[in-house]
Amino acid sequence: MGEAIVITSGKGGVGKTTTSANLGTALALQGKKVCLIDTDIGLRNLDVILGLENRIIYDLVDVVEGRCKVHQALVKDKRFEDRLFLLPAAQTTDKSAVNPEQMKKLVLEMKMDYDYVLIDCPAGIEQGYKNAIAGADRAIVVTTPEISAVRDADRIIGLLEAEEGIEPPKLIINRIREGMMESGETLDINEITTHLSIDLLGIVMDDRNVISSSNKGEPVVMDPTNPAAIGYRNIARRILGESVPLMTMGKTKTGFFGKIKSMFGK
Amino acid sequence: MTKSQLITIKGTKDGLVLRLDDHCSFSDLLDELKEKVTSSVLEGVSDVQLHTGRRFCDEQDMKSILAIIHTSPNLRVSKVHSDVISLEACEKKLIEEQSETYIGIVRSGQVVRAEGDLVIIGDVNQSAQVIAGGSIYVLGRVKGIAHAGANGNKDAVIAASWLEATHLKIADKMEIMTDELTVLSEQPEMECAYLHKNGQIAIDRLQELRHLRPNLATFKGGI
Repeated sequence: MGEAIVITSGKGGVGKTTTSANLGTALALQGKKVCLIDTDIGLRNLDVILGLENRIIYDLVDVVEGRCKVHQALVKDKRFEDRLFLLPAAQTTDKSAVNPEQMKKLVLEMKMDYDYVLIDCPAGIEQGYKNAIAGADRAIVVTTPEISAVRDADRIIGLLEAEEGIEPPKLIINRIREGMMESGETLDINEITTHLSIDLLGIVMDDRNVISSSNKGEPVVMDPTNPAAIGYRNIARRILGESVPLMTMGKTKTGFFGKIKSMFGK
Repeated sequence: MTKSQLITIKGTKDGLVLRLDDHCSFSDLLDELKEKVTSSVLEGVSDVQLHTGRRFCDEQDMKSILAIIHTSPNLRVSKVHSDVISLEACEKKLIEEQSETYIGIVRSGQVVRAEGDLVIIGDVNQSAQVIAGGSIYVLGRVKGIAHAGANGNKDAVIAASWLEATHLKIADKMEIMTDELTVLSEQPEMECAYLHKNGQIAIDRLQELRHLRPNLATFKGGI
């Protein structure tokens, strides 16, 4: 039986959906059978980022209400043969269309067939959040190096810790701008991890290609040279149980051009 | 027939003590009290103390006793002693005096409450609240809201390894940690907050606590 992992953050816009899409893709690249569930009913995006929007026939609400079978609603990502599937959210209704009990049942069913079930959680701590965490075994909290995002992550971690049946959540720090972090304009990794005091699962650099590839419907993680993609790939390997050292920052500075630049700078 | 005395009057160094018998019926006691109050025995006396022994007097009983004593214009009850309290009062006292321990991080939006003292082992993050009827001791950083003496205990303190709370409350006083106040403690390490005599919340080094609130110590004996 597989594992269900919910990806949540509390605050909106920190990259939950992007993280879900990229981790799902990275796990599929590692040869695992993955199913992504979008629980952001009414404001679905995961299908767009994966480039699967125009292949949706049925959705989560159709499945839960018994209008179709689960396998009919699943959208297969053809790039990964039979390893990556998406259960899209409904767009025409809202979060109250599903309840936690139904989600629990659905996720349990999915775990039978997949190695990993990744649940993309909507922003907030209301019904949508409760639905998303209902069937999860593990939780990943995504935050950015902003005080507001860290505050909301703190709140969400508190709620997750109070929840029974979910392992202690792990942290991803997303959208790191190296320059700003080094100059102290944003919180640094150490500050965030000591404040939240949960295990750090990984860090992801801010990169313009994340946005452009999302727009193309091709998760950035497919480009193995991209710094954000490396971050996501490392996280996927850690989820699989490998121990991968944390990316070191400041490397780019000492590159060849950097050296020449600094020589002229003197 | 000589009636045994139900009320004994005793002189102590703190003044006159009326010791009320705790075996007789309450009405007999009141009758004798009436006699005693009007008699010449207590003439020229102003302050008396009451000792009810092992008789449990509820509010109503106490009222009738005091009413009788106060019929004499000169008498005033300065203190009431009793050897017994109700189970309810006892439990309340026990709860107030006990200390509860919370291990873990109090996160944003969470509230940890205790009737008595509260010991937190871990941090209190921003927008988290810790509320105690007694004092609050934190082995960790207080970055959120701490409310000690929530039931009105003005002697309660907030002590922490790192005190940089956004709001400090003691009894009914609140202090928003403005820059002015935090300037006093640039290094908010090992500090305590207490209610100063002037009615404001003050912050001092943890080491000063034994002078500020010596009554907090419950440890007896030792060298």
